[in-house]
Amino acid sequence: MTKVVIMNEEIIASLVRVTTPEQRRLANKVMEEALERANFSFDEITYVVATGYGRINVAFADKQVTEISCHARGVASLIPTVRTIIDIGGQDCKGIKLSAGKVVNFVMNDKCAAGTGRFLEITARALGVKLEEIGKLSLTSRKPVEISSTCTVFAEQEVVTKLAEGIPLSDILAGLHQAIASRILTMVSRVRIEREVVVTGGGAKNVGLVRALESRLGFPVLIPPDPLLTGAIGAALLGRDAAEKAQKEGLPLAKRQRRLEEVELFA
Amino acid sequence: MAEQKWPEKYPIIGRGERKYGTVAAMKIPSIVKADISRIAEAKKQGKPIAYCFIQSNYDEIIRAMDIVPMWTENFAGICAAKRDAQRFLEKAESLGFSRSLCTYATCGIGFDAWREELGQMPPDAPWGGQVRPDVMLSSGQIICDPRYRWYQACQQFQPDVPVYHLDALWPLYENDVDRHEVEGYYVKYLTEDLRGLVKFLEEHLYKKMDWDRLWEIIRLADKTTDLLVECRELRSAVPTPMDTGDAMNTMVAQCFMMGTQEAYEFFRDLRDELKYKVDHKLGIVPEEKYRLIWAGGLPSWFALTDFNYFWSKGAVFPVESTYNELAYSVRELDLPKTSDPLEYMAWRWIRRQTYWWDKARKRPGSEPDVERTINYIEQYKIDGIVVHEAFSCRSWHVGLLWMLNQIAKICRPIPVLTVKGGQKMKTYRELPSLVLESDIVDISSYSEADTRAKIDAFIETLEAVKSQRAEI
Amino acid sequence: MAQGLSTVEKYYQDYGCRARELRKQGEKFIGYLCALTPLEMITAAGFVPFRIKGDVEEPITKADAQMETIVCPLVRSCFDMALKGKYDFLDGIVIPHACDSITRSYSTMRHTLGLPYSHFINIPHTVKDASLKFFEAELNTFRRSFGRFAGKEISDERLVQAIELHNENRAKVRELYEFRKLDPPMVSGVEITKTLVAAMSLPVQESIALLSGVVNEIKQRRRNAPSQKRPRIMVVGAQVDDIAFIKLIEDSGADVVADSVCTGSRDFFPDVDETQEPLGGIANHYLSKLNCPRTYRGSAGKTYQDDLKARFGDISSYVRDFKVDGVVLYVLKYCDPFGFEVPARKEYIESLNTPVLYLEDEYSMASIGRFRTRIQAFLEMIAK
Repeated sequence: MTKVVIMNEEIIASLVRVTTPEQRRLANKVMEEALERANFSFDEITYVVATGYGRINVAFADKQVTEISCHARGVASLIPTVRTIIDIGGQDCKGIKLSAGKVVNFVMNDKCAAGTGRFLEITARALGVKLEEIGKLSLTSRKPVEISSTCTVFAEQEVVTKLAEGIPLSDILAGLHQAIASRILTMVSRVRIEREVVVTGGGAKNVGLVRALESRLGFPVLIPPDPLLTGAIGAALLGRDAAEKAQKEGLPLAKRQRRLEEVELFA
Repeated sequence: MAEQKWPEKYPIIGRGERKYGTVAAMKIPSIVKADISRIAEAKKQGKPIAYCFIQSNYDEIIRAMDIVPMWTENFAGICAAKRDAQRFLEKAESLGFSRSLCTYATCGIGFDAWREELGQMPPDAPWGGQVRPDVMLSSGQIICDPRYRWYQACQQFQPDVPVYHLDALWPLYENDVDRHEVEGYYVKYLTEDLRGLVKFLEEHLYKKMDWDRLWEIIRLADKTTDLLVECRELRSAVPTPMDTGDAMNTMVAQCFMMGTQEAYEFFRDLRDELKYKVDHKLGIVPEEKYRLIWAGGLPSWFALTDFNYFWSKGAVFPVESTYNELAYSVRELDLPKTSDPLEYMAWRWIRRQTYWWDKARKRPGSEPDVERTINYIEQYKIDGIVVHEAFSCRSWHVGLLWMLNQIAKICRPIPVLTVKGGQKMKTYRELPSLVLESDIVDISSYSEADTRAKIDAFIETLEAVKSQRAEI
Repeated sequence: MAQGLSTVEKYYQDYGCRARELRKQGEKFIGYLCALTPLEMITAAGFVPFRIKGDVEEPITKADAQMETIVCPLVRSCFDMALKGKYDFLDGIVIPHACDSITRSYSTMRHTLGLPYSHFINIPHTVKDASLKFFEAELNTFRRSFGRFAGKEISDERLVQAIELHNENRAKVRELYEFRKLDPPMVSGVEITKTLVAAMSLPVQESIALLSGVVNEIKQRRRNAPSQKRPRIMVVGAQVDDIAFIKLIEDSGADVVADSVCTGSRDFFPDVDETQEPLGGIANHYLSKLNCPRTYRGSAGKTYQDDLKARFGDISSYVRDFKVDGVVLYVLKYCDPFGFEVPARKEYIESLNTPVLYLEDEYSMASIGRFRTRIQAFLEMIAK
C-alpha cells in the first residue's frame, strides 16, 4: 500500500493506493493525485518525508525516516496516552514502545509470514473465504480450534485438513486469529507491553484479530480512525517538526533539489 | 500368521497400538507422574530440591545426600509429549530468547520465568509443574552449550538460587593421541570438580556426605547398568522383544532414577521379561520385515507414535545409540583401584566415553560414533539406519550427516549383483538410511503427513534393497 | 610495498593472497577458528596461524551435504569456503573447544578437508585452579602432538618469543583503537574491520608491520569537525569478519567506534602474562582473561547485579572510554553461547544508560540487508 498525507495544521488530503511492482514510478502518481485533491502544486509543499519499504525509491522526498519513528509520531499525535503500538501490516509486523511520545524500544518481524497479514491472506484463500470477511466470521465461533503450525505453509495444510474433517469454518478462522494473535503478542512482548495499546495497519481493520488480541491481553486496545494512515501522518508531522525547528533556529531548512517526476530507471 | 502365545504375566489385551511392547515400559508414565508429585510433596516438606541434567555423572552423589532431583529436560519432554510446550516457548521468546535455541532450555526457562512472575505455578501446569529449586547443578558435558547457559539464564528471575557448574569433559578422538596419554589429567580434573560439587552441596544444603553410603549407591548403580546392558544384548534376538519406542520410555529409569533401588528392580523386571520373551520367541512385531537402528538424535517427544507407524509396516528398532552412550559394564572398563569414590566415578566416566576408541583405531576412516554404529549393525542384524535431526539441538545432532556418510563409505555389508561391461559382478552396498527432521519439543516444526510419507518411501527402499540382495 | 591501508585493501579483498605467496616461499600455514586458539604455540612451532573466515556474499552450496543447516551460519560458511578450495594452502587445522557448532563439526572438517594435520584443543568451561591446571595439561598434549608433526619439539624459549611477538601485535591494535576514542573518530569502523581481517591472515611479524603502517597513515590525517554529530556505536558479538554489517551502520549515519567482538577487542585487549611456565600464561590468557560467553563465569557476588558485572563488566569500560551512545548486539542465528545471554547482556548494558539494539543475523548479504530499517530506527531513536 502506498499512502500519502498532506497536512498543515490538520490533514488537507490523504490517499491510499495499492502498490504495484512498479512502485518506484507509482509514488509520484499517488502524490499527483493527492495534490490535485488538496488543490496544491508540488512546489508549494514545504517538506516531504518518505517512509516505509519503498522510501528509498521516493526520489522527490527531502528526508527518509523509518516507519517506526513515523508510526510513533503519528499515533502519539492522535492518542497521546499510547505506550505500545502494534502495527500489523501485509508483509511485516512491528511492536513499538513509547515513553512520553518518544520511541524507546521496538521489535520487528519482516522475515516470516506467520504473524503478518500474509498469514491470514494465504490461509483465507486456502479456505475459500474472502479476506474482508474472515474477521466477522471468526467472531461467530463458539469453539475455536487450535492451530499448531506456526509456519504459514504448514498452517495452510492444517486448515484444509481440518475443513475436510468437518470442523466448522468459523472455528478454524477463530483458531487462526488466535494463532496469529499469539505470535504477534509473543514478539511485541519483547518490548514489554504497557497500556494504552494502539493497533494500526491493515490488521486493525480485522475485528476478529482485534478481539483475539484483546482476549489474550486481557484489556481493550485502541484503534485510530484511519489505521492505515498513521505512518504517513507521522511522516508529515516529522516534516513539520523539521520545518519548525529550522525556523526557530534561524537556519535554512535542508531540502533536496526535487522535482515531481517519474523516476528514471537505469538499465 | 501364527498367533503368538502371550502369557498372563505380560498381557497384550487392551493395550492398543503398543500391545506387543514391554510391560515395563508401560509403567513409565505413571512412574514419572508419581515422581513429579513426590517432588512437589518433598518441596512442601522442606526437602532440598536440585535442578539436574541427565547423564552428568552426579546421580549417585545426589542420591547419597538425599537430595531430590528435578530433571528439567524431563519436564520439557513431558510438556512436549502432552503437546503443551508452545506457551512456555513463547514466554521465553517474549523475553528475548531466539527461537533457534535449544527448546528444552527455552521451554524450561519460559516456564520458570512465568512461575516466578506469578509467584505460583502457571495455570494448568503439566502434571503439577516444575517446582522452584534450592540449587541448580548444571553440566554441559563436552558438547552441550545450552546446558551450561540454561540455569545461569534462569538466575535472571531466581537470582537467589545458586548454580554449580560441573565440567564433565572427556577427550575427543584424535588420530595421533592415545587415550592413555590423556586420561590421567582428565580424571584428575573431573575428580576435583566432583569434590567441589560435594562441597557446594554440603554448604548450601546443610548436609554432610556419607561416603560409605555413596559407595553403596555406586555399586547399586553399577549393578543396574549391568542389567541394562543385559537387556540391550537380549534385544539382539530375532524377533526382537523390545524396540526403541519402548527404550524412549525406559530411559527414564536409566537416566532419572540411576542409583535407586527402584531403578535396579525396574531393570531386573525388564531383564526377566525380555529373557522370557526371547526364550519363547515373542517379538514386538512377530513377522519382522526390517530391523533398523536409531543411530542418533533425540526423539520427538510429541511424536513417539511414529514408532507405532514403523511397527505397522513390519519395521522394528532392536537397538539405538541415543541414551546408550554410557551403558557399559564396569567389568569391561578395567578401572584402576581406588578408595576415593569420586575418583572411581571419574575413571568410570572417562573410560565409558572412550570405550570405542581402540576399536575405531583399527578400522580406517572410523571414529567412535561410527564404530559403535557399525558394531551394532553387525550384532543386531540391521537392515537400515534412521537418524533424527532435531532443529534446535546442535549438541546431539550436528555430525549425524557426516556419520551417515562415513558409515556408507566404510560399511558396505549388502551384497548386490551389478552388471559391468556385460559381466555380472557381485559388489557390496551400504545400508539405506533415513533422516527424519523435526524437533525435540517444538511441535510447530513437525508435519505428520510429511514424516509418514518419508517413512513410507524408506520402507519401499528397504524392500527394494532386500529383493535385490544377491545370494552369497 | 609500503604497508598501509592500500595493502589492507588488497589483503581484505583477496583474503589469503599473501598466504599463497608465502607458501610458495616455503612458509607453512595452520588454519584455525575462534579467538580461543593458542596462536603463540603455532607461531612457536614455526608455522603461521591463519584465521579461517567465511564470505557473506557467497551462498552456501557445498557444505550442506556434510554439515547440518542448524550449525552456526558462520561456521558453515567457513566450511563451505574450505570445500571450495579457498584454503587449500593450509597444512592443517587446529580447532579449540569453542562452541557446539565448532566442536561438533570437527570430525566433519577433519575427514572432509583431508589436511595433513588436525587437532582439537579441549578448553574447559569454567575458570578455577583445577580447570587452569587441566588446560595446561591439554595444551601440553597439543604441544607434543604438534611437535611431532613439526618434526621438532616446541621449546619454552620459542614459546616465550612467540608470546612477546603476539603481545606486541595486540599492543599495536590497541594503539590503532586509540584513534577511535576521538570525537569524531579518526578511523572508521569499516577501516578497522578491514585492517584486522587483513592482519589475521598474516604471520605475526607481518601483521605488526602492517598495523604500524596503518597507524602511521592515520596519524597523518587531519582532524575535521563534522557538520553534524554522528552517534557513536559499539558492536558486541562474536566474529565480525566482513565489513557489510559495519558499513550498513556507518552508511546509516553513525560511527562504529568500539567493539567487543572476536576479531576485535576481545582478542587484542588482554595480553598474555609472561610467566615462568609459558603454557601457564597461555592457559590463563585464553581461559580466564579472554572474556567470551563460551566460558562460564559463575555468580561471584551476592546479587544478580554483581553477577552481571562479573560477566560483562568489560563492556562498561569500553562504553566509558570510547564514549558510546548506543550498542548493537549482533548475534548469529543458532548461536547458543550468545543467544542464551541476550536478555542478561541487554539488561546490563541498559543499566549503563546505553540503549541496545539486538539483531539476529544469518551471515549472508540477504539477511544483513534486512537490518537497514532497524538500524535506522535505532539511530533515530537515540538521536538527541
